[in-house]
Amino acid sequence: MEIFRNMWRRKFRTFLTIMGIAIGIFAFTVMGSLALKFNKMIDGGKRYITGQITIMPKGSAGFGPSATNTLPLDTLNQIAEVEGVEAVGAGVELPYAEPDPNNISLNMGVPPTIEGYDLNSTFQNRNWTTLSMKEGRMLQRGDRDDQVVLGISIATDKKVRAGDKITIRGKEFTVLGVMNKTMTGPDSFAMMSINPAREMLVLSNPFLNSLKEQSDKASQTSDAAMAKLPADIRTQLQQAKTFKMEDLSTGASVSWKDGYDSETVSNRIKDQFGDKVTVLSPKSMGEQIDKAMVMFNAVILGAALLALIVGSFSIINTMIMSISERTREIGIKKAIGATDGAVAREYTLEAGMIGLIGGIVGLGMGIIMIVLVNNKLESKGAEIFLLDTNFIVEVIAFSFILGIVAGVIPAWRASRLNLVKALREE
Amino acid sequence: MKNIALKIKDVTKSYQMGKDNVVQALCGVDFEAKKGEMVAIMGPSGSGKSTLLNMLGILDQPTSGTVMVGDIKTKTLSRKQLAALRNRHIGYIFQNYSLIPSLTALENVMLPLKYAGTKKSKSKEIALEELEKVGLLERANHLPNELSGGQQQRVAIARALINNPDIILADEPTGNLDTKSGKEIMDMIIKLNKESGQTFVMVTHNPDVAKLCHRIIRVVDGRIVK
Repeated sequence: MEIFRNMWRRKFRTFLTIMGIAIGIFAFTVMGSLALKFNKMIDGGKRYITGQITIMPKGSAGFGPSATNTLPLDTLNQIAEVEGVEAVGAGVELPYAEPDPNNISLNMGVPPTIEGYDLNSTFQNRNWTTLSMKEGRMLQRGDRDDQVVLGISIATDKKVRAGDKITIRGKEFTVLGVMNKTMTGPDSFAMMSINPAREMLVLSNPFLNSLKEQSDKASQTSDAAMAKLPADIRTQLQQAKTFKMEDLSTGASVSWKDGYDSETVSNRIKDQFGDKVTVLSPKSMGEQIDKAMVMFNAVILGAALLALIVGSFSIINTMIMSISERTREIGIKKAIGATDGAVAREYTLEAGMIGLIGGIVGLGMGIIMIVLVNNKLESKGAEIFLLDTNFIVEVIAFSFILGIVAGVIPAWRASRLNLVKALREE
Repeated sequence: MKNIALKIKDVTKSYQMGKDNVVQALCGVDFEAKKGEMVAIMGPSGSGKSTLLNMLGILDQPTSGTVMVGDIKTKTLSRKQLAALRNRHIGYIFQNYSLIPSLTALENVMLPLKYAGTKKSKSKEIALEELEKVGLLERANHLPNELSGGQQQRVAIARALINNPDIILADEPTGNLDTKSGKEIMDMIIKLNKESGQTFVMVTHNPDVAKLCHRIIRVVDGRIVK
């Protein structure tokens, strides 16, 4: 009670100090919940990527929709024969829609993505064995090419439910099911059989599209007609004839047999096919993701901590002023038996309370902002913040500890005041 | 020795004022107060009487000499031990009451018990008894600025007495009070001295107050002259 009365003595100063901390904690809460969301998302991706060996076309620009090269079926079939490989699942990944140059939006998570799977493959990711469904069911072997399973973000954005029709890249699909929120990649996935995904990949890529057109033309051209064509066109058509849709996979997932080490199997694939494909082993991918996340978290939380350090200086300043105003009181307390420790504890606790109140105010402001922004983005299924109880408790505890730490030096100075000099102060 | 509440022997205290100026506040002072004795310290301003009181109350350490509270030598005690000694054996009454402004009368009186580690409920019980003794029970929940000077000094007396100390040191206890309030406070101190047998040492400028004490000592230029 004495602490609150002391804080109340200088209301405006206390208010300003509390607001200094509140702004720091506000930044910490917002940045922290942003980091939480990203960590959750990346963690999901990490779990997935470390549950399989990922095969990418050589020279591919990276994961997902940016991948431009493809994996020939022959190569995948040969990889399936490598010792320790259990199954290979070819896949096609491409953006859910063509980017609209007139409507560029910054996506804070995984962008909406089409995921085409070879439904006949027995491949099973070791970490993501099932995805829970909000409604309907997951894709399975034998499903038609016009059926799609949607992540919650896409389903919410497009306002569709299981059983509804949806048009993706000009092709109509029936929604087979909608997945529950995972807070990671699958929320933005439209999962379908690999065949329609391949067709959409071809249509989206002018080079592949032209190749397919030539291939179709070549297959319709008889050998006799071909022989009459000029040599250069004939060569071109003969090459185009080799184009096969089943060679269009933007990536493949490989599972390993029980009793085999994923790294050993990865290395075997690398040794045999390293010149044709890029092999991403679970371990190396996990390490790369961890490294990236450490940097990301350091940058995000570092910025928030900077705001907090500024706030904590305001506590130090307030406490030093408060102590200089209460020097005589400290002298009286020591005269009647307060030990150095008792005096230091009182002032440290007071600083802690300033931190705590500032923390609660800042947290409140942060939660309001997070809820408002998330509500605004929820309709697009693209919430960018994640709050959980642990984080809230940690923020409150952290703000109290911050206050305590900021109060240590002023409190120590208070405890070491010369008793007689302190008593002489007016 | 057992009859001595406070004793200082050959105590000097000097202060460094600036680079080359040393002020000798006490010059080899010997003093003792017997248990139950009431001693007045008089002297002109700047004579060293407050410094002497600070030495007696172990608020300050002498430059040389010995200070004993009962039979405890204070020289070798740690800061923590000195705090405990002040808390349990010595009560202070200051000229300007020196109450903590953010605490109620009751909380001010409870303060020494808090530092003694007494439980809050027990402290409250004892503090209310002390406030009743000084006639301020009904003002227990008032803040110091809601009390008159005389009432504040009575709260300060209750605070000084709460740990039942052997020695009460008072620095001009009536200095800031009107005659009537000053008399009330002195009557209270004399009554307490008679009833509890506690030793009172007080600094005063007022000869009428000093006359009420068993003994008067005069300090001039850092020395006891009488």
